[in-house]
Amino acid sequence: MKKLLALVLAAVMVLSFAACGGNDAAQTPSTDAPASDAAPADDAAPADDAAPAEDEAPADDGEFNPDNEAGIMIEDVRAQFGPVPKPADGTTLGAVAKQFQNEYWRTLKEGYEEAQAKAAEAGVNITIDVQAAQDENDEQGQLAIVNNMINKQYSALMLSPISDGNLVPGVESALEKNIPCVNVNDGLIKNAPNFVGPKAIQNGELAAEWISNKLGGEGEVAVVIGMPKAFAARQRTEGFKSWMAENAPGITVVAEQNADWDRNKAKELADTWIKNFPDLKAIFCNNDGMALGVVEAVEASGKDILVVGVDGIGEAYDSIRAGKLDATIDSFPFYKAQIATECTLRLMAGQELPRVIWTPQALIDSTNVDTPAAEIINWVPTEYAE
Amino acid sequence: MLKSKLKGMSRELAVLAALILLIIVFSILDPVYLTPGNMVDIIKQGTINGILAIGITFAIISGGIDLSIGCTFAIVIVAVGQLTVVGVPPLVAIVLGGILGAIMGSINGILITKMNLQPFIATLGTMSVYRGLAYVFTGGWPVLGIPDNYRHVFTTKLFGDVPNSILVLFAIAIVTHIVLSKTRFGNYLYAVGGNEEAAKLSGVNVDKTKIIGYSICGACAAFAGMIMLANLGTGEPASGEGYELDAIAAAAVGGTRMAGGKGTILGTMLGALLLAALKIGMIVIGVQSFWQFVVTGIIIVIAAYFETIQDKLSAMIYKKQEKAAAAAEK
Repeated sequence: MKKLLALVLAAVMVLSFAACGGNDAAQTPSTDAPASDAAPADDAAPADDAAPAEDEAPADDGEFNPDNEAGIMIEDVRAQFGPVPKPADGTTLGAVAKQFQNEYWRTLKEGYEEAQAKAAEAGVNITIDVQAAQDENDEQGQLAIVNNMINKQYSALMLSPISDGNLVPGVESALEKNIPCVNVNDGLIKNAPNFVGPKAIQNGELAAEWISNKLGGEGEVAVVIGMPKAFAARQRTEGFKSWMAENAPGITVVAEQNADWDRNKAKELADTWIKNFPDLKAIFCNNDGMALGVVEAVEASGKDILVVGVDGIGEAYDSIRAGKLDATIDSFPFYKAQIATECTLRLMAGQELPRVIWTPQALIDSTNVDTPAAEIINWVPTEYAE
Repeated sequence: MLKSKLKGMSRELAVLAALILLIIVFSILDPVYLTPGNMVDIIKQGTINGILAIGITFAIISGGIDLSIGCTFAIVIVAVGQLTVVGVPPLVAIVLGGILGAIMGSINGILITKMNLQPFIATLGTMSVYRGLAYVFTGGWPVLGIPDNYRHVFTTKLFGDVPNSILVLFAIAIVTHIVLSKTRFGNYLYAVGGNEEAAKLSGVNVDKTKIIGYSICGACAAFAGMIMLANLGTGEPASGEGYELDAIAAAAVGGTRMAGGKGTILGTMLGALLLAALKIGMIVIGVQSFWQFVVTGIIIVIAAYFETIQDKLSAMIYKKQEKAAAAAEK
């Protein structure tokens, strides 16, 4: 029994050490987040083509972080380059998503299909072959899909890799064969010449700003993180915290924990927080699935706590309509796919686009939940040159 | 009499002591930890893992393992979710869900016994099949709008802050405890897991025993899933991913021997509660997520090591007694 006691005490020591370590780590994550581009608008927050923060020399040291690049919005691309040059008849584009188990990626797929349909309406005959890995652990399988598309000599590839590394060899061999590669959404492919996707950090900033406004700049908030390994999760949390630190000194982030994108884990986390932080006023979750779990915990507690998610899945919209979820940040995968397709066609025509093209995102709450997405982001379909 | 009984439960007592110690330490680190709300929460959050762990204890005692429980869990979630949405009365849906889980478990048992597959491989296969079927049935979409009458079966609070799901956990624990310790099937299961050949020679129907063990495992996974469905009000086909590992951890911490033949429901329950108490404690005192993995892992390893120490100790005591007996004979 003595031995057990000693062992448990040892574990407890590790634990308290971990607690200290945790606090340290919570402070350290780079505060070099681009300042100045906190999105202004309340609803739609597209163009923040403000100059990037000064402290970011275009990093050629291997790390690619699109959030630090001087990206532009599709409207600017259109203004600069005009309508899309017509691609050759029978052009086939390959699109590879992470997985179709997730609504987000299914919607992206629908967007690609829409792009193809819209092109057909304009008399442009292209085919977009949309595939995905079996699941989010199938890194090799996703690479095999890409290699297969290269072997079939597709005209261009639009890729959303599972990890930051798994499609790098595929992109290498595609570029060798002069097949243009566009990195869509996330994860990141270092060696892909172009990136089309949302500014992940802005995502957290939009949520922070909205929560801060609702709370009048005062109160305790908490963050439910997805998988910390995911770029998007890190940036969302980072954007949220740095916005609060800079703009809302009255708001304290009292807790942040990982819930593995798992709805039930997020709910249980919130259950515990609500009991232990009686003054908790808002919870920001890295995605909607977890936010919907947190909503259940908040409902059960009978407290008035704001819950904000990210992704804009259908269930989140329903929940906002039902007055349960308070807000979500939608990055409009349906339109993102169309923007990605347009950019890819432009690149194939030899237009020299900037490395990073931002896609729109907006905060959806009860005031705009029934506004069509196209209206929120002022969507104009791709125009083809005659 | 009482003393010998306690001695037989030394492992459970050790886990209980560790659990109490853990609670004391966390309460010292942050007094808030020791509120009744948190204590109920520990059981509440230990419920799903606890029921899964009880199920997998049967598979492990039989000398096997069931990796497919997280996926059985998901299938039952979407199937029962769909049933309740189309208006099947909650209790009927729950019974059907339990039967579905037992069938999926017995498929594992049949693969393992009749086709003579390694349990690890057989359930690795069904794990993928079950997960795939959950996606096929739903097209990847969650089942939405679970009616309140179903959710209330598990979420209604009879007294205080204690939801029915906790009562279900205890009911399952008591029933399975009796099955394991008081019935002939229970004895057979231990015998099969301890020494399959010997059990066979002494006339135990090994195949039947194993198949029943795996169907209990599947049924437990089904109940865990149905509770989660009630808690969340949505049936996601992706749910339960990785839950089998948490369940195995709870069983291991509770003293279930991975090679089979040894383990109790009480131990597994305490193991699940210990892990839940640890998790909540780390959240309360604000341990960073990354470190939680590390700490949880260390606790599991320590628990396993304690098993070894205990075996050594009892071997030593046995030797001493033998020596003493030999000396007395002289």
